[in-house]
Amino acid sequence: MVKKHIQVLKEKSVEIISIFSAIVLWQIIAVYFVGNKLYLPSFTDVAGALVEIMSRDSSLAIMGLKLQLPMLVVDFLFSMMHFSIGLVSALIIGIPIGMIMGWFRTIDRMVDPIVEIIRPIPPLAWIPFAIIWIGLNPFAAGFLIFIGAVFPIMINTFTGFKSVSRVYVEAAKVLGCNTNLELIRYVALPSALPSIAAGIRIAMGVGWMCLVAAEMFGVSRNGLGYQMWHFYDLHRMEFVLVYMLILGFLGLFIDRLLRYYIDGKLLKWRKGVVI
Amino acid sequence: MKLASTLFLVIALVLAVFVSGCAEDTADQEEEQADNITELTFGYQPSTHQIAYLTAREKGWWLEDLEPYGIVSINDNVFPTGAPEMQAMLAGEIDVAYVGAAPVIAALANGLDAKIVAAVQIQGSDLVLRTDLPYESPEDLRGLTIATFPAGTIQDTLLRNWLKENGIDPDTDVEIKGMGPGDAMTAISAGQVDAVFLPHPSPTMIESEGTGRSVVSSGEMLQDHACCVVAVSGDLIRNHPDIVQQIVATHVRATEYNSENLGEAAQIFADDQDWDVELVNKSIADWDGSWVADPNLIVNSTVDYAQVQYELGYISTPLTQDDIFDLSFYDALDQ
Repeated sequence: MVKKHIQVLKEKSVEIISIFSAIVLWQIIAVYFVGNKLYLPSFTDVAGALVEIMSRDSSLAIMGLKLQLPMLVVDFLFSMMHFSIGLVSALIIGIPIGMIMGWFRTIDRMVDPIVEIIRPIPPLAWIPFAIIWIGLNPFAAGFLIFIGAVFPIMINTFTGFKSVSRVYVEAAKVLGCNTNLELIRYVALPSALPSIAAGIRIAMGVGWMCLVAAEMFGVSRNGLGYQMWHFYDLHRMEFVLVYMLILGFLGLFIDRLLRYYIDGKLLKWRKGVVI
Repeated sequence: MKLASTLFLVIALVLAVFVSGCAEDTADQEEEQADNITELTFGYQPSTHQIAYLTAREKGWWLEDLEPYGIVSINDNVFPTGAPEMQAMLAGEIDVAYVGAAPVIAALANGLDAKIVAAVQIQGSDLVLRTDLPYESPEDLRGLTIATFPAGTIQDTLLRNWLKENGIDPDTDVEIKGMGPGDAMTAISAGQVDAVFLPHPSPTMIESEGTGRSVVSSGEMLQDHACCVVAVSGDLIRNHPDIVQQIVATHVRATEYNSENLGEAAQIFADDQDWDVELVNKSIADWDGSWVADPNLIVNSTVDYAQVQYELGYISTPLTQDDIFDLSFYDALDQ
């Protein structure tokens, strides 16, 4: 068992040395060159802040119950709730619209100008209307994430459907697939799946980035983004950095999870095509 | 070989002397440049609390009064609340800040090298409740959602303290949402929050829309409480006390001018912020605030804020009067 661990460590030595060196360099630069926590908190400052955050508790009200949980857990749950609302909505709306636009030319001509006008508007610009239309609740935060995530999904689905080979469609018709619904179900959707998956991956990244903006305007008193702003207001930069790093690590984890699921399960049939 | 080594050593020595000479010259030049500052950057917020800064700018007093000290340009940045303004000051981006006293405390506790040298105004914020909600006492606020400025600001500190004094736990009995003034006004107009606690002129704007009414003035929460102040960087105080002295004198002049010319002060603010001047006039007539420059009037309440922020866990060490204030510049004006 110990030998196995040593072997794993040996295999990962380059990565371990790289991360360790980066931490040492960070500590040296922060302490000896910058010397100011505001500009660059050192690794030990951030580690201390993380320990303090881990030791704090926060209450979570769920279905009439008031649970006392570590603050980080509560923030994580709130952020995941906001993120899930936004991403699921983006999937529900983005994929069908992208499919319809990609399959029916007239609908594409009708919808495309509107999408292209709305698409460049940054999610932050929607805050006033998020407050007015939806209110100060998790759905308003989800709305901002939705705005960030829906267009990559929609555009990639559209591109996937536009790129369906005519040969496949003709062959399917010969084999008895005659209705649009059948052609979409058995030909276009499987063919566009890699493009849709790429769109979902991009959308998850953008949505995760929007999380910080989504939690800055009073939608809740918890969340990783909210806490980042809270500590920024109090000028506690080591705490801000802790939350930035947590957001970074979680973003990476979500991306890896998605890649594992999509590449390893959903697109397993493509093995050998490109990989 | 020996000759070559000796030659190398001599050249290295000469170069070292030359380089150190250059470095010394550069250091001297830098010191000289630091001595002669030509630009000042001010920070302020879009509130009638801080019209003194705008009046002095509008009338050209800042430049006129500071030119004899070598200042050739005045820059300014507008901030929605005190927290980002103090962050900019911590980063050395602004030299003089018109800002709430509470954000200065939060910043000082986190290493800001600055001092409050003058007061700007006392009181002047209102708790505005939605028109359809009844209000007789603070008890009526129980269970409501109140939007105010973010943690570490005057409004957040004052509201939490007042609620606690009235037996309402600010963390559990009400929901306090930290927002900028624009978001908070939008939220109450859209019925998304029940009340807001904001500095003027925002309460007047909400009242004029008919969505809310002022139910408690901040002076009722804490009489003559400190609100906005002039904070000056430690570098200016130590290295350019004459400039700080003049900044305080100009600020006093603008404050007195505003008090004597309310209509003009309102017009200056309205022009700067694209507000309806009638609304600004109404705000100045309705608010319970006063423009004052004497920092001695706000020392006690500001030190109290530091204590409250310490108790709220916003700052890790309580601050004393000497940590926060430098009264010498204002006091010197009387002599």
